[in-house]
Amino acid sequence: MQLLTRFAETGPGIHVAPAGAFHLGGFVVTNSILYGWVCGLAISALMVWVARRVTVRPQGGVVQVIEAGAEFISGLVEGAFDDRKRGRKYVPFFVTVFFFILLNNWFGLIPGVGEAFRRGDNPLLRPFTADLNGTFAIGIVTMLFVYGASIKESGGLGKYFKHFFIGSPLNPLYLVIGLLEMLTDLTRVFSLSLRLFLNVTIGEIVIAVFSYLGHIAAPLTALPFTLIELFIGALQAYIFTVLSLMYLAIAVNHAGEHADHPGPADERLLTTEPTPGTMKPSNRASTA
Amino acid sequence: MVMFADAINTAVIGKGLMVGLGFIGPAIGIGIIGGNYLKAVGRNPEAAKFFGQALVFVAIVELFGLLAFASTFIVK
Repeated sequence: MQLLTRFAETGPGIHVAPAGAFHLGGFVVTNSILYGWVCGLAISALMVWVARRVTVRPQGGVVQVIEAGAEFISGLVEGAFDDRKRGRKYVPFFVTVFFFILLNNWFGLIPGVGEAFRRGDNPLLRPFTADLNGTFAIGIVTMLFVYGASIKESGGLGKYFKHFFIGSPLNPLYLVIGLLEMLTDLTRVFSLSLRLFLNVTIGEIVIAVFSYLGHIAAPLTALPFTLIELFIGALQAYIFTVLSLMYLAIAVNHAGEHADHPGPADERLLTTEPTPGTMKPSNRASTA
Repeated sequence: MVMFADAINTAVIGKGLMVGLGFIGPAIGIGIIGGNYLKAVGRNPEAAKFFGQALVFVAIVELFGLLAFASTFIVK
């Protein structure tokens, strides 16, 4: 009975929002910003170290793993575009985003980050991606890059906006569709950042709950969920990269299509052109 | 009876319903995505390479469950 009341009275320490750690020149530095700085420095140092050690012959270890990840993402980016050469330009950005999110997720799972060290009532360190402000910043930067690149690829702001209206904004149906499309485009920032934030935060909460339930055997009960979170952290980094890549690839491929076939898009969709070389000669033969 | 009614914290019931009902939809959706992926692989083993794209759709579906979870924090 005492066990039950203990569970009812005090729960595990769960924090959804970041908390202020200390002040720095009038600004409140929260625990997630503090850990974000630490992780940013660590990731930069690791990547510079790896970049200097990459050799033609594989050598194993951390270098090999990061090289494989970078190659995976660069293959993904190049494959998403119709023109592989055009895709190569965007490889560095997406590889950076992938590794930044992946390593931030994984550094957040290190024992000691979270509830272990406290300053007053709040934990001292908090994973950067478990803070809505942090993931929102990542989402805004990514979507600004995507918008900028798609405007540049479609050749000017006017042409970029014209794509939303399937050619002509004067048709009332296309006007409504275009406005709805633009609204959907703006919600992408929120969906990208909310998905990352909620996945990481729920992982933190699940680990906190199970280490609380374990009591003395906390490392044993929290271990399986930490392993699941390792997988989910990698999956979320992959999904964030792939979704932002898709947003860019759709706009860029669409712009390329227009450059190849000038003319109203709706007419091209409605008419089914016979493939040249197979149909036309037979048609001519039948009419003649 | 009156004492019993006083003892119930309706916010807890509300939170439980929000999480429970909110996760039903994504659970069904992820089941459909996974089932259709396996069906496609069963018919055509070449389709196994689309696992990454299936995961992207899982992420899109999953977001709605997570939104239901997130909104429990605004219930006092």
